Amino acid sequence: MMGTRWLVLFVAAWVGAAGEPAEVHVSTVARDGRVHVSCTVTGGLTPDLGQALQSGLTTTLTYDVELRRAVSVWFDRGLAASTVSASARFDTLTGRYQVTRSVDGRIEDSRVSELRGDVERFVTSFDRLPLFGTATLEANVEYVVRVRLRARPRVNWLLWPFNRSDASGLARFTFIP
Amino acid sequence: MALFDQPSSPVTPARRPGRAPGPAPGPRRRFKDNPVALFVGILLLVAALIGMMALATRSSRFSPDFLTEFVLYALSVVDLTMLVALGFMLARSVIKLVVEQRRALPFARFRAKLVTALLAMTLVPAVLVLLVGSELISNSVDRWFNAPMADVLESAQRIASDYYRERQAQATDEADRIARRLAALDLAADDVTRVRDAVAPAVTDHRVSLVEVYRLTRVPGTAPGVVAVVDLASPRLPAGANRASADRLAARAAAGQPDLWVQEPLPAGGELIRVAAVVRRPDGAAVGVVVATDHLTGDFATRARRMTRAYEQYSQLQVLKQPLTAVYLSFFLMVTLLILVSATWMGLYLAKRITRPVQALATAAREIGAGHFDHRVERETADEFGSLVDAFNSMADELATSRRQLERSAGDLQRKHAEVEERRQYTAAVLDRVATGVVTLDGAGRVSTVNPAAARLLSLGPEAVGQAAAGVFARHDLTPLAPLALGGSALSREAPAQEIALVREGREIHLAAAATPLVGEPQAPDGRVLVLDDITPLIRAQKVAAWREVARRLAHEIKNPLTPIQLCAQRLQRQFAGAPDPVRGLVDECTATIVGEVDALKALVDEFSQFARMPAPRRLPTDLHELLRGTVTLYNGLFTDVRIETLFAVALPPVRLDPDQIRRVVINLIDNAIEALAQRGQIVIETHHVPPEPTVRIVVADDGPGIPVEERDKLFMPYYSTKKRGSGLGLAIVRRIVAEHGGTIEVADAQPRGTRFTIDIPVEGDPVIQAGEW
Repeated sequence: MMGTRWLVLFVAAWVGAAGEPAEVHVSTVARDGRVHVSCTVTGGLTPDLGQALQSGLTTTLTYDVELRRAVSVWFDRGLAASTVSASARFDTLTGRYQVTRSVDGRIEDSRVSELRGDVERFVTSFDRLPLFGTATLEANVEYVVRVRLRARPRVNWLLWPFNRSDASGLARFTFIP
Repeated sequence: MALFDQPSSPVTPARRPGRAPGPAPGPRRRFKDNPVALFVGILLLVAALIGMMALATRSSRFSPDFLTEFVLYALSVVDLTMLVALGFMLARSVIKLVVEQRRALPFARFRAKLVTALLAMTLVPAVLVLLVGSELISNSVDRWFNAPMADVLESAQRIASDYYRERQAQATDEADRIARRLAALDLAADDVTRVRDAVAPAVTDHRVSLVEVYRLTRVPGTAPGVVAVVDLASPRLPAGANRASADRLAARAAAGQPDLWVQEPLPAGGELIRVAAVVRRPDGAAVGVVVATDHLTGDFATRARRMTRAYEQYSQLQVLKQPLTAVYLSFFLMVTLLILVSATWMGLYLAKRITRPVQALATAAREIGAGHFDHRVERETADEFGSLVDAFNSMADELATSRRQLERSAGDLQRKHAEVEERRQYTAAVLDRVATGVVTLDGAGRVSTVNPAAARLLSLGPEAVGQAAAGVFARHDLTPLAPLALGGSALSREAPAQEIALVREGREIHLAAAATPLVGEPQAPDGRVLVLDDITPLIRAQKVAAWREVARRLAHEIKNPLTPIQLCAQRLQRQFAGAPDPVRGLVDECTATIVGEVDALKALVDEFSQFARMPAPRRLPTDLHELLRGTVTLYNGLFTDVRIETLFAVALPPVRLDPDQIRRVVINLIDNAIEALAQRGQIVIETHHVPPEPTVRIVVADDGPGIPVEERDKLFMPYYSTKKRGSGLGLAIVRRIVAEHGGTIEVADAQPRGTRFTIDIPVEGDPVIQAGEW
């Protein structure tokens, strides 16, 4: 019985670690001297995260955005990195959500909403954030914007808790000034 | 630290001989042999356990988020690290034990059993405690989230939330009501009093606690602004309300944003629920904003927040149930692993500490068994093992001392043995060379040794050694020696020397025999030594000397009167020459007989005289073959029916001899042979030399009737002859000549018939010739 308990815990841990794969859709636009990054996470706010949000826990989705130069037959070379963080907290007394988005620690947007759908959209996507400058980019060179998603809090027990990301996605673009 | 490092044996290396034995300073202590390091390690372990206990005690104060994020990570890291450490230790121990067993190292099986027992004593209870504890933790966590508790908390939260929302709805209604009332007024132009009168009933009737009215200001190209027109507060409203909060809410309402309410905590306790409503003219144009504020008392707000907080905490715990359970399980697992790692390490360490001295003792015992007596075991502890090591080292000291004494004794023994062996070899060489025969018998009466002289004298072969002396001396020709050799009842007494005559092959051998008992340490007979000297030549020499003396006396006594007798006989013959014939005939006959017999006596006396006064040989280098050929030539044509044949060796070494005497010897033997053949037959003269024999051999053989065996021994005695006429001195003279040349002469049967005389004469350089002894 006790062994079964441990077995169940281990299986649950692995299943939790694996989870349902979230898809990260990334798109970029280079305009006005900036690289604008848009990102949408499908399935990012999992039921577990939704429960955590509804329980009053501050739920944060952190997007580690990297701008890399594509290198053939080798690792891409990192050029710049930025962190976009979207967090939401539900006040169970008032029934309202406080959502905040910050870029590299700077609060860019803060809202209060009573609509769960708005909150989910807020935390699972951002649109055309000018994250990188184009001054260092070379014309007609392919670049890669990779986004890694980390969701907090962890509601599953991870046997190997050192994953850098829960999901990731990337977009390639050729810089044309 | 190598995986397969050799156990640090405290056995000191072998020292050079001569160094004083004793425990040498051991190798540098490793960490696990360092008591200070061990003490520090144990202190750290205890500190870690205390820290974990403190952490466990305070874990309830940590937020679930902190627990699941930070603490769970840390615990996972520690658990994985200790799991790896435990696995490494176990794998290393298992591999080491397997390798030790395969290498058949001493005490490998014992150590394996000890380690297995200690690990089992550690692992089994720890795993059981872990399983039971985890089950208890899981059950406890499950009990946190039972249904009644969830219902109570949810209901309480819902009550608080509903009431809160109801108050908010009331404030919203009142704000809308005031906004409609103010729609009829011109907020920019009318008197403030009219506006105050319009909003006063809501405050005085305590429907709201505070009403703030703003008018809109419009600047083209910009968002509309708000300007406070009037505010009316209930006297019950506590101080501390933040005007800025109402201003921001009014601005948001003026900007047309949704969600036109906020809650604002008061410093003195309680909360304000501010609701904004836009004042619109009948044509729908916004001209102002009303912010109605309802005051929730401190007690209610606190309780509502507390109920909500409890519900949230409960919900959060429920959401984080799995990671929280994992936290506690990981914590429990960490403690268990820490105990396991510590206990396993301690078990392995104890096993090593227990077996290492024994291993060291076994290794040292093997080294000492291999002869390395200077090996010592370093004493590490002051316990029973230390006493055992001391006892072992003392034993090793005594063994080393005994070994040195033994080595000295062995050296002495080897020296003595070498001396004895040298003496034995010397004695053996002497016994091999000496002409005296020596036969030794052991205490059991078996023949131990027979030297070559004894073997030759007694005709004993090597097979006699080891046989019972009684059997050996039971041979018919050796029976005269048996009483002396066996000794009878007087085995331990030395028997006086005796002259014993043995007859072998018809020849009589005279031996001077003496038996001496060998006496061992306890004065018990340990065997017998029989010493035999061949005195046959001596006997013969004595006889010859006696005969020479007789011959000399005879020559002296007989020869002197012969001449007068002969002269008298001749005188008588002359006197009676004129006598009558019968008388003269008688006298002539008698005197002739007398003279003839006197001549015969003279010849006899001359031979005796010659035998007695034979001169010493004058040895010259001589070609023996030439000598023999010359001698044989003398007989050419004399005896037609006698054929003399020579069979000479291919080459002979040079010999020094007296040619005249040797020629006389050969002539004598040929004459005897011709006489034995009755002047009809064959005579063969041979020469032989077989290197490295120091003699040359001359053989004179005939095919005559031969000489009976019983007469052969007397053949060389003076005055013995088988011929009708003869003095009997011929072969005696032959033997004497041969003897004076250092040689020997033997007679034997020729094959198929006849007599064969064999003369052995030493070659030149032989010590017998140089000595010139007989």
